[in-house]
Amino acid sequence: MVFFMFLFEVCFVFWIISVASGPSPYYGVVGLVFGAVFGCLMLVGVGGSFISLVLFLIYLGGMLVVFAYSVALTGDPYPSAWRGYVDLFCMVSYVLFVVGAVMYCFDEWSLEGYGDVVMDASGLFSVRMDYVGVSWFYYYGCVMFLIAGWGLLLTLFVVLDLVRGLAWGTIRSI
Amino acid sequence: MNPHANMIIMSSLILGPMITITSNHWIMAWVGLEINMLAIIPLIAKQHHPRAIEASIKYFLTQAAASSLLLFSIINNVWNTGQFDITQSTNTMSSTMMTAALTMKLGLAPFHYWLPETLQGTTTMMTLILTTWQKLAPLTLLMMINQSLNTSLLVTLSLLSMMIGGWGGLNQTQLRKIMAFSSIAHLGWMTMILTLSTKLTLLTFYTYITLTTTMLLTIKLLETNKMSTAMTSWTKSPMLNAMMMLNLMSLAGLPPLTGFMPKWLILQELTKNHMTIIATTSAILSLLSLFFYIRIAYYSTITLPPNMTNYSQQWRHKNQQKPYLPLMIITSSMLTPIMPTFMMIM
Repeated sequence: MVFFMFLFEVCFVFWIISVASGPSPYYGVVGLVFGAVFGCLMLVGVGGSFISLVLFLIYLGGMLVVFAYSVALTGDPYPSAWRGYVDLFCMVSYVLFVVGAVMYCFDEWSLEGYGDVVMDASGLFSVRMDYVGVSWFYYYGCVMFLIAGWGLLLTLFVVLDLVRGLAWGTIRSI
Repeated sequence: MNPHANMIIMSSLILGPMITITSNHWIMAWVGLEINMLAIIPLIAKQHHPRAIEASIKYFLTQAAASSLLLFSIINNVWNTGQFDITQSTNTMSSTMMTAALTMKLGLAPFHYWLPETLQGTTTMMTLILTTWQKLAPLTLLMMINQSLNTSLLVTLSLLSMMIGGWGGLNQTQLRKIMAFSSIAHLGWMTMILTLSTKLTLLTFYTYITLTTTMLLTIKLLETNKMSTAMTSWTKSPMLNAMMMLNLMSLAGLPPLTGFMPKWLILQELTKNHMTIIATTSAILSLLSLFFYIRIAYYSTITLPPNMTNYSQQWRHKNQQKPYLPLMIITSSMLTPIMPTFMMIM
């Protein structure tokens, strides 16, 4: 089980690095898909199976599909893939950064109890065992729910305002 | 901009810092910062020319990186202490990372590189909002966690900010970039005294807001953005030009104007804590900013040939007037004698 968690984490970091180091967003979405898959598997490993399924459904099935549709609509004649030594250098430096961060902060993130507790998270009891949390989000967390919804609505309007107009939209001016 | 989008964006711009200021849960504080950042991006890029869009991209990248660093340190703090309370953030590594993240949001040195270019690329009203309203939420968070902050780190950052704010502003001719470097230097003064007395940080912040608002509204009214156009802008409103000089001297911290009050109290507090060398250094570093403030004041009141000294103001007056500007000028020049009232209020 410890090995599974470790494997999922390594694969997650690998795909996220491929998102960060790729020059084109069209091939970076591949990294997002697989990174999200391994992220959901990591969530299962610490006991959040329901949250993992919800994330899988909404993120991959909702937002990435919408992204793919909008990409197909705008169209890009010559998307570029990973090429040459520039992106290799980016990838290697990201890997070194992650390894360096883990080594530097090793005292804070000790490996005691790694993977053999579920739902406990070393004293931080933040994930529930049952499914009543969804209804509690609407009841106890009403204000947070409203603010989160407002934030998402705001993001929609901000993005719409930034890309409005074909000739003087934000993406074209760069 | 579309009126519906404008309404949502304006109300989110006000809602974001309000959420951050009134929260005691770290996640809500972070949500407020994110709403604030998202709301101001299209406002910076409102004019849609490449300079404004580049300014908004620079703003977005810096603030997003700072937000993710802040979220990372929040999660580390939760992992260590088991609770999300802001005032109980006692993990050392988390406090240091939070300091880095919040100073990145404020524009303190050494994370100040985005500030002059972002302020230069957008309109004067957006410069006003970016230098005054946007500083509210990160400074509030810094004040809430001030007990677990490292004094030496903050003093180092603030001295560096005063140096960069002073030296960086010396070579500038654009007024908005000068206001950016003045903002960096003033934020340095604010964070210097953060761990010793949050009252004084708040007092410095309010004074800075008043002075910067007055200066930027004067710049907007005179419709000048460079020192070369500031030389001939006195014909639009000669009295305002004279008052602008008073405001600039107040920004520099000269007694008996308002800007002297926070500097004096900060130096007193530093001396009480036996940090006299730091106090002397910061007083000397504020001389650098004094030079470019005096330069602006000199160039705006200069007599430029072929004009004569008694040249009358331009015959066609501008329609835009700001009725609250005289009140702000008085507030930015005359508050030092009633300093005990402010100490009592704070």
